[in-house]
Parts: sequence; C-alpha cells; structure tokens
Amino acid sequence: MSALKTLKRWFIDPQFARKKQFLRSLDIFKDLRDRELGHLVQALHSRSYREGEVIFVEGDIGRALFILEAGEVELTRPGAGGKPVVLYHLKPGDFFGEMALLESLPRTATATATEKTHLHLLYKSKLDSLLNGEPRIGVNIMSHLARLLSARLRRLSSDSKLASSKND
Amino acid sequence: MTEDRREFPFLPVFLVGGVALFAFYQVRAALTPFLLAAAFAYVLNPIVTYFEARGLRRFHLVLCGYLGALILAVVAYAGLKTVILEETETLQVRAPAYFQQLQKTAYAQKVLLTEKLPLPAKISEHALESALGGALHTLQELPAHVLALLPLLAHALLIPFIGFFFLLDGPGGVGGLIQACPSRLVEQAIHLLSEIDTALGNYLRGLIIVATVIFIISFLGLLALGVDNALIIAAVSAVSSVVPYFGLVMGIVVGGAMAFYQFGAPMAAVKVAVLFLAIRGLEETLIQPIIARHSLHMHAMTNLLVLILGGEMFGFLGLVFAVPAAGILKALVSVTWSWYTSERGLISATAEGAGVPYT
Repeated sequence: MSALKTLKRWFIDPQFARKKQFLRSLDIFKDLRDRELGHLVQALHSRSYREGEVIFVEGDIGRALFILEAGEVELTRPGAGGKPVVLYHLKPGDFFGEMALLESLPRTATATATEKTHLHLLYKSKLDSLLNGEPRIGVNIMSHLARLLSARLRRLSSDSKLASSKND
Repeated sequence: MTEDRREFPFLPVFLVGGVALFAFYQVRAALTPFLLAAAFAYVLNPIVTYFEARGLRRFHLVLCGYLGALILAVVAYAGLKTVILEETETLQVRAPAYFQQLQKTAYAQKVLLTEKLPLPAKISEHALESALGGALHTLQELPAHVLALLPLLAHALLIPFIGFFFLLDGPGGVGGLIQACPSRLVEQAIHLLSEIDTALGNYLRGLIIVATVIFIISFLGLLALGVDNALIIAAVSAVSSVVPYFGLVMGIVVGGAMAFYQFGAPMAAVKVAVLFLAIRGLEETLIQPIIARHSLHMHAMTNLLVLILGGEMFGFLGLVFAVPAAGILKALVSVTWSWYTSERGLISATAEGAGVPYT
C-alpha cells in the first residue's frame, strides 16, 4: 500500500495540484470537477508582477480575465486634477477584468500591483476553446459572469432610484 | 501611479521580427534539426497535456512516453523486420531496372507516335522529343529527389532527442516569454501566441492525420493489388503528402512504375493510379471536412504561391513549412489589424436589445 502511495507521489505534480486546489477555492470554479479543473489550469497563463508594476491602464483594450493568487492589486481612476482615486483593493482569490471575456473594449480603470503579486490570466480565445471543448467549464464561467452583470445592474438601478428619490 | 496610455509599438515589433527572420534565414541549415524537433514536440504535446490535465508530472509522462515508444518501435521492427529487409533488398536490386524499363517503354511509345502522327516526321519527332524528353528527365530525377530526403533521415535520432527537451519544457517556454514581456503588453502577447497556436497546431496535426491515413490505406491497397515494395511506396507517398499534392504524384509515379515493371502491363500501373486517386478522393471527401474546420483557410492560389516561394528559398523543408509559415504570417496580420481597429475605436460593440430597460 505504501509502495502505491510512493508511486502516486512520484507521478503526481504537486505544483499542478496546488493550482487546482487554489482554483477550487474560488466561488466561480467551485462546481467544477477535478478533471475540468485540470483543463482550466492548462488554459491559464501565469505571471508575476513587481510592486508598483502596472498591469493595465484605463483605456487599454481588455482581452483577459485576471485571477489574483497572491499579493494585492489596486484599481484606480483619475480623479479631480488627474490624481488617481483608489476604487478598490483586490485580495488573493479575487478576479478582475472579467468583462474582457465578453467584449474587447477599453478598460475602465487602471490596475497596479501594490506588492509582489502573482496573477493567472484567462484569455478570451482560451475561454472560447473551453466553451467548445469543455462546455461545462465555459458555461460555469459564463453563468457566473451573467450573475455578476445582473447583480451590478441591479445595484446600479437601485442606486439611481435612491438618488432620484433624494432629489425629489 | 497612473501611466499615460500608450499604443502597441507596431513598428519596433515588426522591425525586430524582420531582423529575427533574416537572421533565421542566414543560419537556416544549422537550425533545421531544431525546427523539426520543435514541430515534432509540438505535434506530440497534446498527448502529454491530455495526461498532464490529470495532475501527472510532465517529466515522468515524457520519460514513460519515450520508453513506451522505444519498446513499441523494437516490437514493430521485430515484427516487420523480414518485410522491411526484403523490401529494401528488392528495391536495391530492382530500382535501376525499373527506370531503365520505363525509359525504354517511353521511347518505344515515342517511335510509335511519331509514325502515327499526321505531321511531317521532323516536327512530330521534335515535339514528342521535347514533351517526352522533359517527362523522362523528371522521371529520371525522381530517385534523386527521394535521395535528397535522406539527409533528413540523418536527423532521425537527433530530432526525438532534441524534441525530448522541447516536450519537457512544454508550456514553460511560453510562460517564460510572457514573464519577459512588458506587463502592459502581456494581453497582446497572449493574443498573438493564441492565434499562432490555433493556426499552426491544427494544420500540423491535420497533416499527421492525413499522412497516417494515406500510409495505412495505400499499404493495404497495394498489398491487395499484389504490388511489390508496398511498404516503401506507401511510406514515400505518406511522407510526400506533407507537401500538398506531392503525395498523390509520388504514389502514382513510384507505385505505377513499380507495378508496370513487375507485371509488364500498363493496366497494373493504371490500377495503382486509380488506387491513389481513390485515396485522394477519400481524403477530400471524408478526412478534409473533419480537419478543414481547423485549417488555415487559405486560397488555393495563395497555397501554391507560398509553396513555390518556400521551395525556392529553403528547398524541401521550405515546401513542408511554407504553408504553416504563411499561416503564422496571416495570424500576425489578423492580430495586428484587430489591435489597430480596437485601438482606433473602429469596432462598435453594441448588442441587439441593449436599449430595452433593465427589468
């Protein structure tokens, strides 16, 4: 039995298992099966960023979804006088730039690594391949994006209602 | 912290690309085994990634795959040893006679036609001399063309050896490129790599499928027709099929010549020609539709032009890699255009029904 365990340990890639474990911990991928998570790990590109390194700038054409594995990312937008206003601080497990998976349009904020950061990128054409080859993965991501969009629209709608009632 | 928005540096990228291509052209001979090994690893990579997706270590997978392939090759050689040795010996003995016989028959036909044509003797003789002479010259040069492929066989051991390291590295090389790329250009770099991967991968895998199918069917067909050296003819036709239309021509010419010599009747050569034409038909109707959705979608004339250019510049390797190289160029142009239009805001992204209020 221990020989079998040793053999398994010899064959199993610990890095790959760690990445799968990380993806499984995310809400967006939690319903995926082990084999599907394996395909997803292969579809992702990884990159490390130094502290202060700009990931993308507002106005850049977005082409990928970013998943933050380690470090911290700050989303900013220029405020009055051109000084950047911090919109959000992203922590490990968060993802951003997801609308690029739906359409290649200019980014609406600037993303900067505020410390040494490790990100996974899911490129749009990889998602398209997953939608064709592994539909369950693609559908899972798309349905999560749809829910996210709907939630944001509802919030926007209720915010504007609140604003108009205050004005009245 | 916010940077000014910068456009993608199209010009420097194209300049660097051009210089890299020129340098590659200068040292092309030394790079041949590396290029072939990269193609070899690239074609085999999906098998490794299939098992890798199950969480297995790449190193162990590649090692086990190589050991398995070695055992399979030894077993296959042990099983086919007699056939391979017999065919090689027969070919060695008969090859010069095949072409001599063919030459004699062609000249006999020439004399016959000269007598029958309703033209002055000198004119018809001259016309036939130039037509048949050209064809015969090509036929006589065919063995030389086949022999020209032999230096590639010298790489037969080197290619899997270098390919082993390419396979071990796998996507690590791409990861290194992405890490080295300026952070602002990472998305564009992935876009380009993804387009090239789609175009190149499907084309090369399609070639392997077609070559394998041609080898199996032509081998069985030639065996059924009782033609000697079936294995060698099938192998020559399959290997030549990596150059569009060349596999069909080689199959008909080499197979037809051998059948004609063996049976001494033109009908035998016609049967071989029909067999290879049927294989081509089968490939067109059954195999191509399956792999066409992944093909490079290039016009036939463009294919022909890049084949001529590739052959002229790089010889046989140019013929093999001309079409995929054109595919890469096409991907590069398409990606550049896509970046240009999106940077300039030429693409409007409105969805139908966007005007309906949210409910």
